[in-house]
Order: sequence, then structure tokens, then C-alpha cells
Amino acid sequence: MPELALALDELAIRRAKTGDLEALENVYRAYQGAVYTMGRRMCRTPEEAEEVVQETFLEVCRSIKRFRGSAPGSLTAWVKRIAASKALIRIRYQKYRETDELHEDGRGSMGTDVGLSMDLEAALVRLSDTARAVVWLHDVEGYTHEEIAGLMGKTVSFSKSQLSRAHARLRTMLGEEV
Amino acid sequence: MYRHLTMTELLDLRDHEGTQAAERHVETCDGCAAEFERLHQRVAGLRALPALTPPRDRWTDVRETIESGRRRTVWRSTGIAGLAAAAMLALFVGVQSLTVGAIDAEASAQVQLQQLMDESQRLEGLLFAVEQEPRVMSGMTAATIAGLEDRIAMVDEGIAQAAGRSAPVTVEQLWRERVTLMGTLVNTHVRNVAYVGY
Repeated sequence: MPELALALDELAIRRAKTGDLEALENVYRAYQGAVYTMGRRMCRTPEEAEEVVQETFLEVCRSIKRFRGSAPGSLTAWVKRIAASKALIRIRYQKYRETDELHEDGRGSMGTDVGLSMDLEAALVRLSDTARAVVWLHDVEGYTHEEIAGLMGKTVSFSKSQLSRAHARLRTMLGEEV
Repeated sequence: MYRHLTMTELLDLRDHEGTQAAERHVETCDGCAAEFERLHQRVAGLRALPALTPPRDRWTDVRETIESGRRRTVWRSTGIAGLAAAAMLALFVGVQSLTVGAIDAEASAQVQLQQLMDESQRLEGLLFAVEQEPRVMSGMTAATIAGLEDRIAMVDEGIAQAAGRSAPVTVEQLWRERVTLMGTLVNTHVRNVAYVGY
């Protein structure tokens, strides 16, 4: 992931914890890109990713006074965890509207993927919502399967099997099969 | 191990959770070694995907919502003071009406006032319930809500000041206005929930 555009020092975080709107805006400016990227990679549309940004920062502004981290990077991890949770809520909501299986079969059935070589970004988009979220959280954001299971309200083996299936599909879509 | 590794086994190996047998196999099997390398490259490719920039700045919306929440806290506490003052006034009006003997007219006014207070309380309950739904609102909705809350705060201030001093009819008008504003506020929230809920 890219480096944060704006480093927030301890004083800035302390000011934000008092509810100072200027300091909270600095937190927003520092993390909006990272949160949007995470939302965009996990959700289907740019609009959903934007909603993730807004919901994340509303939560950040409301809860920052309870933030207790002091280690370097702990604010980043905290903000990203909120973002991941908001993105997963959106994904769960989408699953109520249409089943994940239908989405996966409809947009990228294995039949049409065989031998099809596409770029990684396009292949990622064609995964099911859940599989895409697991891949992103585990392989890019560095979450463990235990953490993903906790965030999703599922088991560790669910997370592992989603990752395994996702990589098998990515391999097919990228035309990497031997 | 006399078979190729599964994707799950390769992923376990990548995460340093693989078995020794799997580790030995990948060292001796060209196919699995190549597959393992492709897995690493895929993940490196995912990590190298470009960072994205949000198309719109959402800070104004976030800020509006935060400020609106802060104003709500203020007018809620003012509203409670208003309700307490109004209850005192209702008691005062009741005692006064008995002394002047205009029992029927005063009792009717009192009933009307009580109905308005009950309705206001019911709308407060509805508002509380609808606010429990986590949701996002547009800047325009947040501004509308903030405007309504400000007007309710002013009405509450009027009720608090009028208690015991103004004619009952003035207090009744203020309560009527409060109920109307509260109704509009609840409707604005409900419309927003319906919109966000698709």
C-alpha cells in the first residue's frame, strides 16, 4: 500500500481526540486515499467505495476519543480496521440483495474463464465479493485468517477456503494454468 | 509426497504453515515450484496495484453530519428543560383556571396542550428509534436536519421562557410549532433511511 500522504504526529492525534474539526479533517486527508483504495478493491462500484469512505470517517470522528493506540502505525491500523468492517457490511448487505453464487456465476463462469488471459485488476473484479474481500484483506492488507474470520463472523476454515478458491480462479483467469 | 500440491497447501506453505512433506515436495517438483512462484508473483502483483483517489471530497458531508450530531445534543438538553417548564406551566394554568371559575374553557385548553405534549414526546421516541439505524446522509439532508434542529431549539427556548409568564394560548402555539417541526424532522430522517436502504 502507498505511504500516507500526510503524517500525523502525536499532537495532531491528541487534538483530533478532543473533537477539533480541523484536526479531524487532517485525519481524513491523511487516510482518505488508503480507505478509498481498500473500499474500491473490496466493493464492486466506486459509489460503494465512496460510501465506505464516508461511513469510515463518521465512525473515526465519533470514536477517536476512545482510540488508545500509541505505537507507530496504530492509528493507520485502527482506521483501516474500521474501513474493512464498513466494506464488509456493504458486501453483506449486497449478499442479501442477490446471492453471491449468482454473482460469481453470472459474471465469470469457469467455462468462459478457461484460457482467458486478463490483467490482475480485471481478474480481481471478477471474483465473488466475499472471495475478493478475503484476498485483499489477507494478501494485501496482511490480516490473518483469524482476524478475517472475526470480521466476517465466519470460521477460519471459511476464510482459508475462500482464499484458496479465489487463487485457483485468479490463476485460471490469468491464463496461468499449466 | 507423490502428488502435486493443492492451492490450499501452497497457500499454507506461503504463510509458513505448510507441512514438512509439502516443503520437501516443492523443492523437488518443478511443477509445484513453478506454481508456488506464480502464487508469489500474483500476490506481489496485487500489492503493486495502484492506489486510488476518491473522485469526490466527502469531508464536507462528514463534517456536516458531525456538527449536526453536536447541535442535536445541545437542543435535546434544551428540549428537556422546555418540557419540564411546560409541565410546570400546565400545573399553573390548572390552578389558575380553578380560581377564576372558567373551568370548561381552561380544561379544554389544558387537554389540547397535553395532547400536543404527548404528540411531541411520541415524535421524540420515533426520532430516537430512526436515529439508531446506521446510515450515511447527503450534505443537503444533513443541512436540512440541522436547520430543523435549530428551529426546534428556538421553539424550546420560547417554551422555557414563556412558562408561567405568557398566556396559555401562546404556549399552545409554541407546542404546536414544535410538533410540526418534530414531524418534519422525523420524516426527513425516515426519507433518508429509505433512500440509503435503496
